[in-house]
Amino acid sequence: METILAVEHLRRDYGRRGSVTRAVDDVSFTVAKGEFVGVMGASGSGKSTLLNCVATIDTPTAGHIRVEGRDVTAMKARELTRFRRERLGFVFQDCNLLDTLTAFENIALALTIRKTPPGEIEGRVRETAELLGLADCLNQYPYQLSGGQRQRTAAARAIITDPALVLADEPTGALDSKSAKLLLDRFEVLNRQRAATILMVTHDAFTASYCHRILFLQDGAIFSQLERGSRSRRDFFREIIGVVTALGGDQSDVL
Amino acid sequence: MFSKLAAKNVGRSVKDYGVWFLTIVFAVCLFYVFNALETQAVFQYLGSGPTAPTAQAIRELVGMLSVFVWVVLAFLILYASGFLIRRRKKELGTYLLLGMGRGQVARLLLLETAGMGLLALLVGLGLGVLAAWGLSAFTAGLFAVPMTMFTFSVSLPSLGKTALAFAAIFLLVMAYHAFAVSRCRLIDLMQAQRVNQELKSQSLGLSVALFLAGAALLAIAYAMLLTRGILRVDALFWVMIGLGSLGTLLFFRSLSGFLLRVCRSRKKLYYKNLNMFVLRQFNARINTTYRSMTVICLMLLLAVGITASAVGLNNTVEQMAAEELPQDANLVFYPDGEEPADLPALLAEGGFDPETECSFSLAFPVLRSDAGQAITQSVYDAFAGRWGQEAADSFLTREGLNVLADGEAQGAYVNYWYFLADYAGDKNAAETRFQEAVSTLGELGSYSCTTRLETWMELLGTKVLVVFMGLYLGVVFLLASAAVLALQQLTQAADNAPRYRILAQLGAPENMRARSVDIQVFLSFFLPLALALVHTAVGMTAVNQVIAEVGRVDAAASSAVAALLLLVVYGGYFLATCRASRRLARGG
Repeated sequence: METILAVEHLRRDYGRRGSVTRAVDDVSFTVAKGEFVGVMGASGSGKSTLLNCVATIDTPTAGHIRVEGRDVTAMKARELTRFRRERLGFVFQDCNLLDTLTAFENIALALTIRKTPPGEIEGRVRETAELLGLADCLNQYPYQLSGGQRQRTAAARAIITDPALVLADEPTGALDSKSAKLLLDRFEVLNRQRAATILMVTHDAFTASYCHRILFLQDGAIFSQLERGSRSRRDFFREIIGVVTALGGDQSDVL
Repeated sequence: MFSKLAAKNVGRSVKDYGVWFLTIVFAVCLFYVFNALETQAVFQYLGSGPTAPTAQAIRELVGMLSVFVWVVLAFLILYASGFLIRRRKKELGTYLLLGMGRGQVARLLLLETAGMGLLALLVGLGLGVLAAWGLSAFTAGLFAVPMTMFTFSVSLPSLGKTALAFAAIFLLVMAYHAFAVSRCRLIDLMQAQRVNQELKSQSLGLSVALFLAGAALLAIAYAMLLTRGILRVDALFWVMIGLGSLGTLLFFRSLSGFLLRVCRSRKKLYYKNLNMFVLRQFNARINTTYRSMTVICLMLLLAVGITASAVGLNNTVEQMAAEELPQDANLVFYPDGEEPADLPALLAEGGFDPETECSFSLAFPVLRSDAGQAITQSVYDAFAGRWGQEAADSFLTREGLNVLADGEAQGAYVNYWYFLADYAGDKNAAETRFQEAVSTLGELGSYSCTTRLETWMELLGTKVLVVFMGLYLGVVFLLASAAVLALQQLTQAADNAPRYRILAQLGAPENMRARSVDIQVFLSFFLPLALALVHTAVGMTAVNQVIAEVGRVDAAASSAVAALLLLVVYGGYFLATCRASRRLARGG
């Protein structure tokens, strides 16, 4: 299997002399093409820092991050902007849609920014929207959409450019359980049909149970790793809960 | 402690204060320049001669006009202060949350306003003194005033008047701040950052219909203006103004929808870069901005129209003077005795020797003939040779003279004498000596004397009045509209910052975002200007019809001055707004 993402001995320190906080401490892992990987951990475990480093928004103190074999830690600012635009897709907790644009236009914007030929745009947007179950609400503004529809629009926007890697930061954080389930179902569809590689940060065990593999972070280091294999999601969910319990001792801190 | 915090606040929000500061500096500068008219070379010139009462009248008129200008500026500065308060709502909320009393917050704002106001006042006065000097040079050239009058001077009374006028405005601002702080609710202050998502989706079809209706109304108003002329102020005149204003309003109300409609059907344009975003942003704002756009468009019309008419009128008056009197000096002498008068010799005795003082002079008798009064053919030829056939003919018509062949003139009875001359060298010195020499002629007969400089001085009063009033009002309106636009755009840019953050996350490169900001600022600055220019073009056609009745129209000069003013004031604000908006869009 082709490796899309390779994180090698990643370290990220905050602060200066005397009071250094090590947010991420010697983390290494790889994500293969078509994998759906989750990162779990309590607040302050370093999962957001890790995601920001992979997203090239933050610069690591030491170590390397390779996406499709290219070392992003060695890229210059201009190159990085271009790289982010061409190879990465983002889904955020607060979906970050532009309120003045319709759902259709929000999705299309990702293409126009990449200077896609205008003739292709409408067809591709409709195709992707179909995949995410958005066909009926394309002409509505974000404030007219439900939270789940908004988050799926954001997902459509992230996926439409065929990125090498989709990064999702707590995508279900602001959704009710039904919308969350619908969104995750769509993530699975994207993952299967489009062979999209997804790296998702979450602290919700249910959300995480949709992943193929889960990395657990504690105090900036990988504490344990779980593979779903051929198990049912329910079994996988139980196992996740188990690790989470072992991790924190105090569940309320995690969930 | 308070002054320390105030000083820090000013330092930190110096960029927010930027447009506020710029507006006050410009306003102070303008107010001083026009109230310190006595420092103007052309005014010293006008005030020194027999035209002193005219100069005094003009100064009084400017004083009265300044009251009106003061009101406009006060509103402008209050508006700018309101903008600042809105920008800092969260900060003020934090002070209140931390337990500062409302009185204390008001005092803090008072200190800041006082400090910044004082600084702006000083800078503005400094600039004003320099600008008055520059304007003096400009108008001295415009009115061909001797450069000996052109000196650097400062008008202390005007400095005092300007300082007082703006101190009063600052007091108003402080009162407004105190009022704003006392009225605000903490919850509103803390949540002020939240962008309201009130988006009234309007039918694009309706926009197109409204747009066409607006265009039709404007066409009717234009047609009325061009057929009726601008000077007939009756009920229909107000109907015309009303139709024009309503048409302008409808135009801006529906323009964005219309544009959106047109662009959406052109996919190549719509799906290019951030065009989609720009158009949608523009369309989303139009509900709140179309009224101010209309007002700004009409203010620009006044600004450009007044400036252009004033300069146009000035040039027309000047041409009329030149046509009426082609010579520098024009002397008619009726001798008491019968013997022929040698005018050049008489003048030379009086201290004005035509041989050295004039580049050209012509002394000749007016003869009595059968057909009436006449001059000889050779005199006519000399006249036409120097001042042109046309001037010679109009001279004959004006004075009721015929031309006699040189032979027939022999021994004819001499009615009176003419002396026409163009000075050589320093015209003012020559004029003084000429007037002295002419006054000695009184013992020998009666005379009447007109010189170009005298006529000039009389006209100068009118011209100065027209040009200074025109520039004053024109610049004030221009300044007001540019400042209001700049503040609106900055407010919008601040509201748009989160949207640009999203665009950055989506990977839109910096230059693409900057371009989108520029386009938005450009649209809001130049759409009102474009329509205002069309209005002005039609209006000026009507004005020129009026001017054409009394003299020749010089459209080029008036357009050039208006364009220069627009470029400096409006263009300056546009660039400053672009820069500041880009900064707001970049700062994630």
